[in-house]
Amino acid sequence: MADLSNHRLFRFPKPQWLNSANTRTAGVYFAGALFSIALFVLIDAATFSKSHLNGSDFHMNGVDWIPAIFSALGMLIINMIDKSRLSADSFSYSGDGVAWKARVVLFLGFAAMAGGLAGSVTVLVLKYVVQEAAWPALWFGVANVVANALVMLSSVVLWVSQNMEDDYTYNLAL
Amino acid sequence: MAMAGLRTIIILSFILAIGFLLVILSSALYKNFLPLLVVATYVLAPIPNWICGRWSTSDDFMDSGSGGGGVVELGRFFTGFLVVMGVALPVVLAHCDLIRIEAMVMSIIGGLLIYGTIISFGLFFHQEEEF
Repeated sequence: MADLSNHRLFRFPKPQWLNSANTRTAGVYFAGALFSIALFVLIDAATFSKSHLNGSDFHMNGVDWIPAIFSALGMLIINMIDKSRLSADSFSYSGDGVAWKARVVLFLGFAAMAGGLAGSVTVLVLKYVVQEAAWPALWFGVANVVANALVMLSSVVLWVSQNMEDDYTYNLAL
Repeated sequence: MAMAGLRTIIILSFILAIGFLLVILSSALYKNFLPLLVVATYVLAPIPNWICGRWSTSDDFMDSGSGGGGVVELGRFFTGFLVVMGVALPVVLAHCDLIRIEAMVMSIIGGLLIYGTIISFGLFFHQEEEF
């Protein structure tokens, strides 16, 4: 533990509660909750588009779902990676550039996620703002952006929780 | 100890009954049975945790960094997903005017009571196993 704190990067030590198992568990639950909210914001927009409350000519169709699909795919890719492989090249036994492969796959995941967020903004602007949708119809575009941002937030929470786990098991091993 | 256990079971079953009463009222009062989906969601919610907890081997303490830990976290992720789904589903239905606001409130409260009962039972039996 003592030589761990010598290798830290920042001036302030990491708060102790960040390493507890309970925080990690709560983080994973919270990530699931955020992903659920994201999905249901989109489903709400789609249902609202079909309901009788939507008097406008704007409707959600396949284009509106593509950014969310890319975001979810990116989240899946990012969180499938075993985080300890990212620094695997510093170990002698792992040849064949495992860390390099992990970084490429991780880059693809981040690209898919950023593309999803950018795509949702594109849909909002091109499909709703430019064609001057009024508020109830504008919600379809806003919901798209909100859902993709929530997927990204959920992914961040899951990533932080998983890194927490590594520290936790390391402390246990010591 | 046995008395306390018996009392807990009775109280929990009362809460479960009240939860089901609220959800069924929210459906039957307005002749619209969509809020019953909440019950299905909350009954399904602890199942990923159970399955993934059983799936990860008992010696996952050694390799919880890569092996069993990931599976357990997958189960927790889906449980968190389903719990929030139980609240989000009535809100979506009410926002799109498929059910009424009163039905939404009743089904959310009833669903939370049902889920709280399930979780309390899990905690209760878990403590029983330890002793």
